[in-house]
Amino acid sequence: MRHLAQYCLIVGVARLELVRGAGADARTPERVERALPVRVRVIDGALACIARQGMAKTTLDDVAREARCSRATVYRAFPGGKDAVLHAVVDTEVSRFFSALAVSMGGAGDLEDVLVAGMTEAATRVTEHRALQYLLAYEPEPVLSQLAFTRMDEVLAVTCAFTTPFLGRWLDQPESRRVAEWAARIVISYLVCPAEGVHLTDAGQVRRLVRLFVLPGIRALREPNGVVHSARAAGGRRRATRSVHSNPSTSTTKGEAS
Amino acid sequence: MDGPRQRILEATYACVARWGLSKTTVEDAAREAGLSRATVYRYFPGGRDELIDAVVSWQYLLFFVRLYEEVHGATSLEEVLERGLGFARRSLVEHEVLQKVLETEPDVLMPKLTVESKRTVGLIAGFLVPYLHEHGLAPGVEVHEAADFLARMILSYISSPGHWDLADPEQVATLVRTELLAGVVGDLKPAVP
Repeated sequence: MRHLAQYCLIVGVARLELVRGAGADARTPERVERALPVRVRVIDGALACIARQGMAKTTLDDVAREARCSRATVYRAFPGGKDAVLHAVVDTEVSRFFSALAVSMGGAGDLEDVLVAGMTEAATRVTEHRALQYLLAYEPEPVLSQLAFTRMDEVLAVTCAFTTPFLGRWLDQPESRRVAEWAARIVISYLVCPAEGVHLTDAGQVRRLVRLFVLPGIRALREPNGVVHSARAAGGRRRATRSVHSNPSTSTTKGEAS
Repeated sequence: MDGPRQRILEATYACVARWGLSKTTVEDAAREAGLSRATVYRYFPGGRDELIDAVVSWQYLLFFVRLYEEVHGATSLEEVLERGLGFARRSLVEHEVLQKVLETEPDVLMPKLTVESKRTVGLIAGFLVPYLHEHGLAPGVEVHEAADFLARMILSYISSPGHWDLADPEQVATLVRTELLAGVVGDLKPAVP
């Protein structure tokens, strides 16, 4: 897990419902809070502190106050102190991020949809993550140092390993791995280096990117030398099983591998 | 420009190669350049921080100047991308100072490179626009959108190739014809005739 540690900061999510469970809505916030294990309260308290003041300035006293427990209680739950809390925050946020990704990708009905759902969800989780956004604005070093060169290769490998099975319904495994890595690369690129007017939190914009650039690339991956022949495209259209969102230029890949 | 500014930058770069980004001081740079501290401050009033940023920017720009020299004679879009990706990756891997700093001070270097890369996306995109016009685009693709997409993908593959081996010309040819160009241009010629 060590190589995942800082990665979590990149992909985490502040929403709690996935961890708290479905029954949470029926209870008052106060009672929910007291019902949570100390560990979870401390982790969420640390997240709130980071969202407000960053990692460097956050002390264990701040975390204890936010979690409404004593400093001694924090130490009992995390004998390793601040470092241990931060590692738990990272692991928690990674798991929340991938849980959310699994939910959105698992419900998709075709290849185009699974790509759009996964990329939009990932971009949205990162963009709406208050702690992560604070870090990117004021303490970017630990986050950005994960997002280039060999460390980004590791991030790509982890993301790819997790998302590849979700593409397996439409693509065989080597194709799934390539496409999963490619989609992760695209999302990271727009998040680290935003383009004027392009927002991957907008599913419509992601769909346009997927239709214009990704689906033709997937078709080309299947051809010798990456060249798409028009005859092949016609064959794909004939065999297409679904075309909910498709226009004539994108319908060929959808359902092709079904 | 071979004036004192350039001399200071080269001296600072020599210091960074020896001691890294964090440990290089204005005094080191001045001594290496054979100039006084006051002269260094005249050219870099922001002191150490400005000097280090300037060295990173200068080396970064130099990398892309070399990349430009490598590809600007290419006659087709595919050739630009194939030659560019191979050359760029090789240059990064063989860049001893970059590799050393990445190894020892990634937290210092990475945010600076991110700032630079935002500018570079625009530069690469601008360079590609004429090639895209020349080649012709797939229906529905807008030229600046395509150039921006290609530019950010190129930066991404150069920095972190993932499962692609950019030292293998065959893989580079496949990458160019699939993930880079398949959606961007209408028709592509086979990699191997």
